[in-house]
Amino acid sequence: MTKEQFLKQLNSSLNRLSFDERQDILQDYEEHFSIGLEEGKTEEQIAASLGSPNQIAKELLAEYHLEKVETSANAANIIRAVWAAIGLGFFNLVIVLGPFIGLVGVVFAGWAAGIAFICTPLLVLISAVIHLSSFKFFDLFFSLALCGSGLFIIIGMFFATKWITKGFIRYLKFNATLVKGGLKRD
Amino acid sequence: MNVQFKKGVLELCVLVLLDKKDRYGYELVQKISNQIEISEGTVYPLLRRLTKEEYFTTYLQESSEGPSRKYYKLTDKGREYLHELVEEWKQFSNGVNQLIKEGVNID
Repeated sequence: MTKEQFLKQLNSSLNRLSFDERQDILQDYEEHFSIGLEEGKTEEQIAASLGSPNQIAKELLAEYHLEKVETSANAANIIRAVWAAIGLGFFNLVIVLGPFIGLVGVVFAGWAAGIAFICTPLLVLISAVIHLSSFKFFDLFFSLALCGSGLFIIIGMFFATKWITKGFIRYLKFNATLVKGGLKRD
Repeated sequence: MNVQFKKGVLELCVLVLLDKKDRYGYELVQKISNQIEISEGTVYPLLRRLTKEEYFTTYLQESSEGPSRKYYKLTDKGREYLHELVEEWKQFSNGVNQLIKEGVNID
């Protein structure tokens, strides 16, 4: 790449910056080229060791955007920054808290149902003790059946809870890298 | 080497080089790239940033061989920052060296 090509590419990648700022930046690279040439290097050699103009522009632009938020504290920029922060918060609220509450509900309901089913024969017996006349064999057998299925539910819930916990932790980790990844600068 | 890591180190290198005397951009770039493999072009954005953060001031000086050169001069704020970074670097590199010493068996 020649000096001209390098500067042209850099200039066009920086078109979001003001004219003065761009001139200032290009000036630095022009100076670099001219000193390099004085030392007997070729334009191609100098351009090659400078690296890609696009990469340099990316770095300068990232700097520029950060600075814009930091220095020019006008209403629009503040609102934008606040909105971004709230947005991130809402995002996590919905994306993490929502499923979390849902899963806790499911797990709790499963355990509650299992335990209640297991307790039914006991309740039938208690009721029989209090009102002997209300005792029916149908109730007893039905409650025993419920007790059996309750045991299966509890066993199932034991594994389900383990899997759900594991799965949710993985999801949280994924979410963390997602959020962090979005904030990475390059 | 990791890009972010290199950037941080590059900042330290530039500050150290300016501690004793003012230098122009090309000189800084050459001094660093003689020791560390870098994309030379990335030094200029760094210089701009550090200038904006008031760690450097710049001035133009005529050179005998050609167009005038932009010199960078460390400010008091910059010097303070340099001392902080050097201290951090020492602790960091001591820590890493210690771990290497404990972890690697060199025959």
